[in-house]
Amino acid sequence: MIENQGLCAKKEKLADMVNIHKWYGRICALKDVNFTVGYNEVVGLVGDNGAGKSTLIKILSGYHKPDKGEILFEGKKVVFNSPAEARTLGIETVYQEQALAPHQSIAKNIFIGREMTKMLGLIDGKKMNEESMKALRRIGLHLRSPDIPVESLSGGERQGVAIARATYFSAKLIILDEPTAALSIKEAQKVLEFVELLRDEGISAVFITHNLYHVFPVADRFVVLSHGEKVADVGKEETSIDELSKLIVS
Amino acid sequence: MRPIAYYRSLSTLVAFVAVFVLFASLSPGHHFIALGNIEILLVMISEFCIVLLGVGLLMISGEFDLSIPSSLLFCSFIFLKLHNIGLNLFLSAFIVFGVGLLIGLVNGLITTKGRIPSFITTLGTMMLWAGITSIFAPPGAERAIDASVLPLFRDIFIGEVWGVPIQFLWFIVFTLISGILLHFHRFGCWIYITGDNREAARAMGINTDLVKIICFMLVGFLCAFSAIMQSIRAHTFFVGIGSGWNLMAIAGSVIGGTFLSGGVGSVPGIILGGLTIGIIENGLTMLGISYFLAWAIYGSLILSYVLFYMYLGKKLAVMGRWRG
Repeated sequence: MIENQGLCAKKEKLADMVNIHKWYGRICALKDVNFTVGYNEVVGLVGDNGAGKSTLIKILSGYHKPDKGEILFEGKKVVFNSPAEARTLGIETVYQEQALAPHQSIAKNIFIGREMTKMLGLIDGKKMNEESMKALRRIGLHLRSPDIPVESLSGGERQGVAIARATYFSAKLIILDEPTAALSIKEAQKVLEFVELLRDEGISAVFITHNLYHVFPVADRFVVLSHGEKVADVGKEETSIDELSKLIVS
Repeated sequence: MRPIAYYRSLSTLVAFVAVFVLFASLSPGHHFIALGNIEILLVMISEFCIVLLGVGLLMISGEFDLSIPSSLLFCSFIFLKLHNIGLNLFLSAFIVFGVGLLIGLVNGLITTKGRIPSFITTLGTMMLWAGITSIFAPPGAERAIDASVLPLFRDIFIGEVWGVPIQFLWFIVFTLISGILLHFHRFGCWIYITGDNREAARAMGINTDLVKIICFMLVGFLCAFSAIMQSIRAHTFFVGIGSGWNLMAIAGSVIGGTFLSGGVGSVPGIILGGLTIGIIENGLTMLGISYFLAWAIYGSLILSYVLFYMYLGKKLAVMGRWRG
């Protein structure tokens, strides 16, 4: 097992998952996994299907509770009972199955469940439009209008909307679950650019993927899971795509 | 680019105007647009469209309600019963509103908490309420409702204001309320998103079950309101109340551009769809054509509408403006 502790000294940890165990019935999905994300860091979380990637991030985003182990966020111990609780602390997830409403406008999608209102719950459409354009520009996505329905955007642009939504609500940590799956090379490239801009904005990210060629250029560090166990945790400069792929299939 | 709903409402407006002009010009002596007939139309259409508003909002949230005729029947039966035991009419009305809300609550709870398609839930409650009513309501045994003992009550539900039937004014009031709710209130956003992508709505913290239950209750309340109007106008409880309205309401919503799957639709569209459906029956009678043909026309309207949008959707997708 390759470890590099130098990259994440104690005080530099944004999220710290310690000795996480998770069982589904008698199947052990995660076995004693330590997973950390530093401030201003993009971590690539890679592994084959069923390696435990999704389980791990679902614990971090509040969907599941670990059976054993604890989570520290910004140095404090936290227990999440729901995704909403994780979100309040600044952990936003951009899901693989995009959490967007296809027929609704971009602005409405960015503000789902958190609409801006004037009085009596009446929505402030103008402000929502302005703010959503701002949020999109922040991650380098330039769209014609906040009024167009999400379904008329390309796959990459849709991921952009989802990422912009996460950044708008001052996320500290964005979890990207297979953001480039099912996208063309060009579209995937766009999403990778969004991720790089996130780091420039001081937001950390966990990038979950099968595709090492997508994650390698943007991540600072890689965590490889295999059969529920962590098999590697290495900085980019100490490894290569070849080495990582060998670890994944091992 | 304007929202899809805009184009859809626009085409429903064209359909409405076309049907209206057709009836107005073809009916003997242009009787269709005679003052007397317009007044009848305003009453009948309002009674229907008040219910339709709820159905439209419910459909946008991704559910629909087959139990409407039975809700109307049950509400008007309860209203008559309360009247017959000598309860004050206002108090009776409030109780009936409560019954309507309860009917909606039952539909909503079974559908959302039991994870049962609303088609099945409301098919069940449709039979249930109709069955219960027919057990307790032997035909012809009921005392007529006499609202003239309380003129204020009568005027509120079936009076006239400046020569306009008050039913129509109520219809406008409910249209404005639901329009503001759907298009300018955060609850409207939740209705759209719940119907469009329930998982997304839940992931982003919207209580989709509650949204749907409230929509079901809205339908129940509007049914109660319409049932009272109709009971007073007819002076009694009648078994044929709201018969076929469940399907007509779905037809009106679809012609008005609402997606059966939810997430798309608008209040102007729903209203125009309702008006179109509403004038067809009356117009055909004016032309001396069998009322039964009305259903054939509803059917053709729905089919041509859906096929037209299928075609238009492909055209627009080619132009890169609209997918799907």
